[in-house]
Amino acid sequence: MSLSSRLPGPAVPEGTRDVLPPEWAQREHLRGRLAAEFAAWGYRGVDVPALEFADPRHPQDARAFKLIDVGGEVLALRGEFTTAIGRLVRSHFAGGPFPLRLQYGGRLWLRALTSELGRLREFAQVGVELIGVATPQADAELLALGQRALEVVGVPAVLEVGYPGFVDAVLEDAGLAPAAREALHGAIDRKSGADVDLLAARHGLEAGVTRTLHQLTDLYGGPEVLAQAGGLARGERARAAVAHLEAVAALAGEDLLFDLGASRRYGYYTGLTFRAYAPGLSQPLLGGGRYDLGGLPGAGFAVGLERLTEVAARGLPPEPEVVLALDRAGAEHARSLGLTAELAWTEDRAELLAYCRARGIRRWAQGQTLRDGEGAA
Amino acid sequence: MTPASARGPEHLTLALPKGRILTEGAALLARAGLPLALPGPSRALRHEFPGLTVLELRNQDVPVYVDLGVADFGIVGKDVLVESGRAVFEPVDLRFAACRLSYIREVGASGPVYQVATKYPRSARAYLAAQGIPAEVVKLSGNIELAALTGLADAVVDLVQTGGTLRANGLEERDVLFHSSARLVVNRAALKLRRGRLRPLIERLRELVAEGQQENGPFGQADRRD
Repeated sequence: MSLSSRLPGPAVPEGTRDVLPPEWAQREHLRGRLAAEFAAWGYRGVDVPALEFADPRHPQDARAFKLIDVGGEVLALRGEFTTAIGRLVRSHFAGGPFPLRLQYGGRLWLRALTSELGRLREFAQVGVELIGVATPQADAELLALGQRALEVVGVPAVLEVGYPGFVDAVLEDAGLAPAAREALHGAIDRKSGADVDLLAARHGLEAGVTRTLHQLTDLYGGPEVLAQAGGLARGERARAAVAHLEAVAALAGEDLLFDLGASRRYGYYTGLTFRAYAPGLSQPLLGGGRYDLGGLPGAGFAVGLERLTEVAARGLPPEPEVVLALDRAGAEHARSLGLTAELAWTEDRAELLAYCRARGIRRWAQGQTLRDGEGAA
Repeated sequence: MTPASARGPEHLTLALPKGRILTEGAALLARAGLPLALPGPSRALRHEFPGLTVLELRNQDVPVYVDLGVADFGIVGKDVLVESGRAVFEPVDLRFAACRLSYIREVGASGPVYQVATKYPRSARAYLAAQGIPAEVVKLSGNIELAALTGLADAVVDLVQTGGTLRANGLEERDVLFHSSARLVVNRAALKLRRGRLRPLIERLRELVAEGQQENGPFGQADRRD
């Protein structure tokens, strides 16, 4: 009895998938276009291992696939790139020169995601990191590069900027203890006025503070949001965040959206965060932000290739026509014309014709001539 | 389904659960200015209005459709939303369909709790963990009270509206996990990309809810107890 007949069930683990033509070609095309654009901006490529030492401080530790090494050490499959790039920079570029511009690409694995529309457990990303500088110019460069990268693959996108630390700073200025802040972050991030009221009652917050919290849940939209945020910023941290965002917005010079109530992972991000949305797609195509890369300021973004392929496939140039070559000379001639040539594997014309019908191949090449396959047979 | 790209950029897709929320929610949204009429008696699951598509779904599916962006927004009970664990925006408490999720035992029961039956395993687990009760959660689909009465479970976590069913069955509420009511939920990208239509709608719904609250006295419907 063969293994497969003894073990009925799905052929691949949930959340993983085979990639078939033409998706493979579309994805590789997009990967190439993005890498070329990143390179043109000075981002040099690096690769990091897919196997890492498991570390409870890793931001994706709780969701990582774990393996046991021969020596008993626990290894983790790479669940995001930023942490690995940080390690690489500390090992190989500790002395700079900064700013250091790096790009990466590859597969990632996360255990805890359920498989559903656009959310796989094995997925591919490409991305960039701009390391060692934390100026508004650096943030604006990443926003511009993100926008441009999607533009070159034919996807018009709108960028939305957040600043998770701003919410925390406003909560701190309101005199809230860390425990109350933690709970309120979730409610504000969900824009849930009802949950804000509930928590305000539980923690005995004054009406004025509660009003500020409600304003945070409504702090999204165009550039006008920055002026509203300025009105809420009392302390130094909050004011610095707004001033930084104003400087970035002035440099960006394009129509940015803002959501200053977004506060997910506020302990991880040390500055702004951003996402790119494409019309007609209710999932972000690109996401990034600014974080602490083990003592160095870092910022970057990653693009999910599966989702991008879904959106960008329609705008890609068509693949070259495939022809059947009856001899080597015919194949070379066809290829020199920019066509794709498959070599005939038999003299049996009926078999070749049946194959061409099944594959949708219309023309045959022989020597210097290209003919209609049905006639040639 | 018509692909999203085939529609105008301001087209909205609305997810509503069958039943009471569909009726009351559709009426409220119509008052807020959305061009929708109550679906008459038909077997259609999708209803088209100018610039708006309405999807009729099972309760539990509303957060899924909205989170994945198949629907831009929807209405769903907070109980279902909490249980879904989905990261959607919930900008308006619509204050109808009020109920509470409660921890319930037989009247006078005082033995240890080893099994807790519920339709809400996520909420039940979180509650038991917070209370330090090391009980096993048993997921059931309906008439949860029976689990306590038949001895299948030592306690249950279930929705309570008036408490009448509990009293009639010799059960009592020991604790309230949280109060629930209908919420407007919005997809994270849609709120930004279609804010030209969604933001005014949110404002209008807040006004309508506030007016309704005044008509229902200082505490509104959501705070009424039995």
